[in-house]
Amino acid sequence: MNFEVTAEQQELVASVRSVLARECPTALVRDVVENGSAPEQPWKSARELGWTSIDLPEAAGGLALGFTTLGLVIEQHGSHIAPGPFLATVSQFLSLVCEAASPEQLARFAAPAGAGERTGALAIDHGHAAEQQPGDGLRARRDGDAWILDGEPRFVLDGDVADEIALAAQVDVGDGVGLFVVPQEAVGAKRVAALDASRPLAHLRFAGVRVEPERVLGTPGQSARALARALERATVAAALECVGTCESLLERTVEHVKSRRQFGQPIGAFQAIQHKCADALEQVEKARATAYFAMMAVSEDDPRRTLAASMAKSAASDCQALVCKEAIQIHGGMGYTWESDVQLFVKRAKTLDALFGAGVAHRQRIAALLGV
Amino acid sequence: MRLHYDADTEAFRAELRAWLEANRPTAEERRAEPLESSAHLTGWARRWQRRLFDAGLLVPGWPAELGGRSLPPVQQLVYHEEMAKLPHERSANPQGLGIIAPSIRDFGSELLQAKYLVPTLRAEISWCLGMSEPGAGSDLAGLSTRADVYDDRFVVRGQKIWTSGAAHADHCFCFVRTDPEASKHAGISVLIIDMKAPGVRVRPLPDLTDRGHADFNEVFFDDVVVPRDHLVGPLHQGWSISAGSLAHERGMMWLASAARLDGTLERLLALAREPGPDGRRLGDSERFRDTFASLYVDAQAMWFMGYRGFAKFARGEASPEHSVLKLFGSEISQRATRAATDVLGVEALDVASEGWSFDESRGAAPWMRQYLLTYGGTISAGTSEIQRNIIAQRVLGLPRR
Repeated sequence: MNFEVTAEQQELVASVRSVLARECPTALVRDVVENGSAPEQPWKSARELGWTSIDLPEAAGGLALGFTTLGLVIEQHGSHIAPGPFLATVSQFLSLVCEAASPEQLARFAAPAGAGERTGALAIDHGHAAEQQPGDGLRARRDGDAWILDGEPRFVLDGDVADEIALAAQVDVGDGVGLFVVPQEAVGAKRVAALDASRPLAHLRFAGVRVEPERVLGTPGQSARALARALERATVAAALECVGTCESLLERTVEHVKSRRQFGQPIGAFQAIQHKCADALEQVEKARATAYFAMMAVSEDDPRRTLAASMAKSAASDCQALVCKEAIQIHGGMGYTWESDVQLFVKRAKTLDALFGAGVAHRQRIAALLGV
Repeated sequence: MRLHYDADTEAFRAELRAWLEANRPTAEERRAEPLESSAHLTGWARRWQRRLFDAGLLVPGWPAELGGRSLPPVQQLVYHEEMAKLPHERSANPQGLGIIAPSIRDFGSELLQAKYLVPTLRAEISWCLGMSEPGAGSDLAGLSTRADVYDDRFVVRGQKIWTSGAAHADHCFCFVRTDPEASKHAGISVLIIDMKAPGVRVRPLPDLTDRGHADFNEVFFDDVVVPRDHLVGPLHQGWSISAGSLAHERGMMWLASAARLDGTLERLLALAREPGPDGRRLGDSERFRDTFASLYVDAQAMWFMGYRGFAKFARGEASPEHSVLKLFGSEISQRATRAATDVLGVEALDVASEGWSFDESRGAAPWMRQYLLTYGGTISAGTSEIQRNIIAQRVLGLPRR
């Protein structure tokens, strides 16, 4: 087992980091949060530099570099709490489309998203994501060649701003899962007053939305496996972004304790502070190692990928809980303010914990997979 | 990054497994002569280590004359993976093999190497490590066991404590103060002391689990004469040996700890499938499932973190991250065993362990005893608090006071 990043991957990570440091300062994130601005960056860079097509098959015009390479880029987006459509488009929308699409559908839906010309979202039931079930928030019934969608999937990331919505609905045939792509305009959307306004969430409403056959992914009733695999990718991606956010928050916290002086010395010289930082590092190391394992398991299509995805989400959950708690506490009064950037990281990390099943849900899933 | 080893490495693993299957001690042999301490070389323990030495499978990174076959780092890792799966240790004197032999090889004179290195490797002699003292625990450099220096000899006076295996050890690799005037770290030397020399007295110090279970000892030195040529490395330069000695252990130590943790979780899973005190299966409790899954993720993460750290170690880089692994591993073991005692309720209070032995050759200890034993992990070899200091100061770069 080799968890080392290859030289090529290291180079890419370094370049992504420097682009994001330049194009995505926290001031930009704050502008999105406070003013609802919709900046071109860092999506523009992601598109121009080909990050959007890293893990897309060559048939859809992608670079086919694998999920590990994409995962490292997502982790960097987390470190910079990047706003914008990158996460939902590449790790959620494209994951489902690429698992289930026909060659024509790949060309029609995946290729434009991979090229960064169109954006996508994934509507699933977060309450059942850990179990990889479609839930009953959205149902599809057959109508001749077409399918009719009814239901209200909630908390869809980018659900009201993405161009296309990929989704999983309950069907009453076969394995009970149907996968579809609908244009955003066909759907009613209500923006959620989200904790992290740079990660916009929407409740969607499908009221008899008719889906023509060319927008049905795979065969309804034979799609549970594709949904599971897409969810594994989306879950691991969320864990990786969360790890990146936590790493960055810990780094800021460590910088703070080195420079902030009280009682005539840096507060980082106090053992109480040192031990908090050490425990936070332990959680970051644990979450990163676990997320990397899951990322490689998905990338290599290892049979452990289902378990690994839930483990990654559980470890990321533990990590954000401790790192965020200590970051606010250690920053003291400033950490409690709106003006400090600490809150931006804390809210991003908590959002990523909740999406696709929080740690508690994934731990129940892990226990079930292990036969406890 | 990859999840699998190459074919050569897997071929080595297969060869090693076959060899172990044919050569490792049987359960009967081990039960007949259970180990009583970490320096107790019973008949089977000597024969087993000798077979490893002769096969070049004792210290695989070393050359054949030192019981190895000069394997590259990745194959050494696979070796340690397989050894960690055995129900017994690679050596019945782990400190002798893991810390003292490498130190003698790195720092010992030709005479000391000739006299002690191969006999240690072939399990002809066993060792204890004289480091901690009543007044020098976490603050190891504060040790005060004194060795007066003469032209032909040292004369040692003082006391060590927490000395594992001292009751069975033939020799002590002992840190003593040779220059009381020098600053704390500068006046320390390392001597090899014959445990049968006049003036050496050992008093077993049973741990809290059982009055009869004493791997630890107090060791008293009352004007013990040590030949001058039994100094290891230069005079007054012992502190750098201590850093070097312990580093030998750390590269792979996490692996044994991760493997033990896997064993603990297997037993916990078996417990989950049994009816609990209220007659319900423990695994049916949502809370227990959450606890178990959390421990499982942490135990797996231990492996993943270890492999990441190993890559650095293999490149010869310092990796203070091993403090993270030591801290993490010892604390998960504690949580895991405590979880079992929690759910067992009053059942956990029965600590009868008839026939239980130090090396568990007669089965695992009761959960309560396993739990109490984990404090050995969070206290010895640098307490959890010291590990946190090291992480904060050497990994995160926070200021020392």
